[in-house]
Amino acid sequence: MKLLNCPLNGPRNIAEFSYGGELHTMPNPTMCDSREWAEYVFFDRNEAGVVTEWWMHNASAYWFLAERNTITDEVVRTFPASEMFTERVDSINADKA
Amino acid sequence: MPKIENVAPTNFSRRSQLYRRHVAAGAAFTKASASAVVAAYSGEHNEVHCAAMLGLADLSSLPRIGFKGSDTTHWLEKRIPRLPSRPNLSKSQDDGGTVARLSATEYLVLGNLTDAPSLPAALQDVSIDSSTQRVYPLPRSDSHAWFALTGTYAPSVLAKLCGVDMRARKFANGNIAQSSLAHINAIILRRDLGTTTCFYILSDTSFAEYLWDAMLDAMAEFDGIPVGILALRALENGISE
Repeated sequence: MKLLNCPLNGPRNIAEFSYGGELHTMPNPTMCDSREWAEYVFFDRNEAGVVTEWWMHNASAYWFLAERNTITDEVVRTFPASEMFTERVDSINADKA
Repeated sequence: MPKIENVAPTNFSRRSQLYRRHVAAGAAFTKASASAVVAAYSGEHNEVHCAAMLGLADLSSLPRIGFKGSDTTHWLEKRIPRLPSRPNLSKSQDDGGTVARLSATEYLVLGNLTDAPSLPAALQDVSIDSSTQRVYPLPRSDSHAWFALTGTYAPSVLAKLCGVDMRARKFANGNIAQSSLAHINAIILRRDLGTTTCFYILSDTSFAEYLWDAMLDAMAEFDGIPVGILALRALENGISE
C-alpha cells in the first residue's frame, strides 16, 4: 500500500487523496493578457525532477502542497499551503487592480 | 427502560434519512430536539446490554452545525468554554454535546442525546457579520448523516472498514479520524458514553442507507444490532443493564 503524509491527518492510503496539479503562480487576472492566463489555466511545465504539486485529502477536504520527484515518484515532503500563502489571494489581486 | 412517548417521525419536519427503515423495523420513537429519534427497536433484546457489546444508533435527526474561517476559533472562544486545542481533537461540553476541531480553522458542534436545549441550536440563532469577520456557518445537519457505534467490539468493526487504528490504546477518547470508512469519506470521533466505548460517525447524507447497511453487515460477526437512543442515554448515565 502506498502512503502519503497529510499535514493535517498524518499518513494515509494514497487512495484517500486527489491530485490537484502543479503549483503555479497566478498572474494578476486584471493585468495579464489572454496568453498568460491560458498558460496559467491550461498548461503544466511537466518537469522531470522535484516539482511542487497540490494534493487534497478527500475525507477532510484539506488542500496541501507536496514536493514530489517525478522521475522516482518519491514524495520529498508535504506541507500546509499556509507556508506559501499568508493571505487571501483574491485580496492581493484586488489591491493591485 | 422508561416509558416511550408515542411520537412519529412524520410529526416533525426534520427527519433522519433512514426513518422509513426504522418504522419498518418496528422502532418506537421519542422526541429529541424537535425531531423523532429511535427510542428502541421492537424485539427481545436488552438494548442497553447489546449497546455495551456492539450497537449502532442513528442520530441523524439531532442538531449539529459547523463553522469555518480564519476568525472561527476567536469567535467560538467567546461562546464555547472548552474548545479543542488542536485539529482532530474533540471536547465534551457541559450540555452533553461535543465540539470537534476538524482543522485549524474548522469546527463541528454536535448536540446532546437528550431533549434539552443544545449548543448547535443556540449557535444557529447567532447572526454572523461575514463582512467584518471570517466565520462561515456550515449546515452539517443537512449535509451529514450521524451514527453512533457503541460497545466493546466497536474498534474491531472499524478495523474491518477503516485503515486508521482505532483500538482503545491507540485512539483515545476525544480523538478524531477523517478517513475512508467502507470506501466512503467519513468523520469518526471517539466519544465514550460513561465507560462504554462509542464512536460518532458522520458521513454524506446521500450515503446514509449504504453506510447503515455496510456497518450492520460488518457488525454481524460480532452479533451487533441497531439500538435506540434510550440505550445510549443509559450508558452515558452509567446504567449498564
